[in-house]
Amino acid sequence: MSRDWSLLLGMLLALLACVLLWVLHGALMDQPGPRLADLAAANVPYSGVSNPVTSVLLNFRAYDTLLELAVVLAALLGIWALGPAVPGFQPSGPVLASMVSWIVPLLILAGGYMLWVGGHAPGGAFQAGALLGAAGVILRLGGDPRAGLPDETMQRWLAVAGTAVFTLVGLALAAAGEGFLTYPTDWAKWLILLIETAATIAIGVTLAAAYVGGRP
Amino acid sequence: MTDLLPLAVAVPLLAALLVTALPRQAALLGVLGAAATTLAAGAVLTAVWLNGALTADLGGWGVPLGISMRANGFAAALLAMTALVALATSVYATGYFADSPKAVHFWPLWLLLWASLNALLLAADLFNLFVTLELLGLCAAALGALTGSADAVKANLRYLLVGLLGSTTYLMGVALLYSAYGALDIALLAEHIAAGGDENNAVDAAALTLMTVGLALKAALFPLHFWLPPAHANAPAPVSAALSALVVKGAVYIIVILWLELFASVATASAAMVLGLLGAAGVVWGSWRALRAARLKLMAAYSTVAQIGYLFMFLPLIAATPPGPARDNLFAALVLMALSHGFAKAGFFLAAGLVQQQAGHDRIDDLGGTAQQMPATTFTIGLCGSALIGLPPSGSFIGKWLMMQGAIEAGQWWWIVVLLIGTLLAAAYTFRVLSRAFGLEPTPLRFVTDARSEIPALMLALTAVGVLGLAAGPLWTLLGLGAGGAA
Repeated sequence: MSRDWSLLLGMLLALLACVLLWVLHGALMDQPGPRLADLAAANVPYSGVSNPVTSVLLNFRAYDTLLELAVVLAALLGIWALGPAVPGFQPSGPVLASMVSWIVPLLILAGGYMLWVGGHAPGGAFQAGALLGAAGVILRLGGDPRAGLPDETMQRWLAVAGTAVFTLVGLALAAAGEGFLTYPTDWAKWLILLIETAATIAIGVTLAAAYVGGRP
Repeated sequence: MTDLLPLAVAVPLLAALLVTALPRQAALLGVLGAAATTLAAGAVLTAVWLNGALTADLGGWGVPLGISMRANGFAAALLAMTALVALATSVYATGYFADSPKAVHFWPLWLLLWASLNALLLAADLFNLFVTLELLGLCAAALGALTGSADAVKANLRYLLVGLLGSTTYLMGVALLYSAYGALDIALLAEHIAAGGDENNAVDAAALTLMTVGLALKAALFPLHFWLPPAHANAPAPVSAALSALVVKGAVYIIVILWLELFASVATASAAMVLGLLGAAGVVWGSWRALRAARLKLMAAYSTVAQIGYLFMFLPLIAATPPGPARDNLFAALVLMALSHGFAKAGFFLAAGLVQQQAGHDRIDDLGGTAQQMPATTFTIGLCGSALIGLPPSGSFIGKWLMMQGAIEAGQWWWIVVLLIGTLLAAAYTFRVLSRAFGLEPTPLRFVTDARSEIPALMLALTAVGVLGLAAGPLWTLLGLGAGGAA
């Protein structure tokens, strides 16, 4: 594309951005206020957790999160479908290797903490899973071609664990007469913790396997 | 009863997880999962038929805090079409991927795609729709690249990026609506928008434009169709069938909901006219390129661009027709066209895949002998072609007939010209393929050569031509029962 066209395109996009900003400004001015935030905050005490973000993600709009976990899985399946993984890196030097053996346990510990703390403060399955995934990335950079992951069969079970537990909890609640993903208030905390634990492991495995890049 | 709706998503989702975890039994588990999903979709259809529209409050919070799902007649009809097309494609895939290592990768993504389609059709929440679009786009692009050829990977990477651009644009529109009204549920937002009057006109118009453009990109509305032909033509045959027949329809379904339900009070007739004209351009351009295409699957892909165009031509007609039986007929005709195209195009792609496997290529000009060795497949292509043309008794014949009637009543004669050109070109490209079947090569005595692959394609073709054409009446009842504000 020639420079003139790029310039024209840029100007048009800038114009579009201005129009959108003006419209958004109008939308915000017409009805200032917290929208659904008040309603959500009022219902947090009944959601089983005290962190409002977790109560939205795992309770009020749990169905969205279930499908998002499936998106993460689909990304990994897409990567696996594109062929075998590229060969691993060369073994790392002694300094990096000893650092890896320090950092990886810390990352796993921090992941567990993130998972637990998500109930009442910022944290949760996605953050904890990201830390586990990071542990895998560091192991891979440190020379482990499998990024610390188990064999293929186990990887497959772990990668689907999050979505599977989430769906099965939903269906079990429906079968018990509560309705799909409708947690009874007393049980909500433990069901959310169960789902988040499975989701943490699944996200961690998925991210590490995606970094390895290719069929195990 | 309302648990049926999440079940229609949960069943294919669990099946996808199971085939991921147990790759050795992928084909068996996949077909079982497909059968179970079809049963779930059938249960939803039956329930909507008996009781009218269904809704489900997930999590028991109710709108606006929680997410709800719903199935009206429109959604149930598309859900049933998806189930039948996907079931036939699944059976076909067991033959197509019989000895291929690709089967292990096909089944999990395929069932996830199905789950996301069901979730899309049953969604009642704008943000939930975005999530389903993401899942759908990712699965579709990954499946499209399954052949692994450089062309396929390139075309589907482009498809993925275009899809991301489309869903992000859609999401901007959703964000605007949420900023203005503080709700995401479609029915609730429709009330707010109708009650808002002129106050939020700029927001409504901007949101409608953003969402429509984003979805039109995914629906391959002319001139945003550029990504479709290479992506659909280079995918494995069962995937092409699903992409053309089902995935594109998902975006069209949301556009129809936006124009006829959510923004019914602000979508003006002149704005609908723009969409209709783009659709008409798609009909002419897509049909022309289909006629000129050298390869069978490329021809089918361009034909999809044309058939999607017809669906958009209904929008200005519906906008120009006052509520009443005439408008109901137009809406039913739109659904009927979408259903017929779904069955016919899926059958066509499946048959084209068999021809390609048999001949080792799909160059139309060199298909002479191959077409004659496979009578059932050639018959399938002929039947699907007749449905694409709109010959009686196919469902699209009734659809086109009602569109002409609507155009005359609305005084918009120009749609009839487009309809005639499109039909003529469709006849030309269909007969161009069929003419290869009438050479002097010896014809085998057996009608069916490979039942597992040929019968599903033939069933889809017969559904498009026979069932939808001769028994279209119940569709009116189904839509009349549950279409609500849309009809």
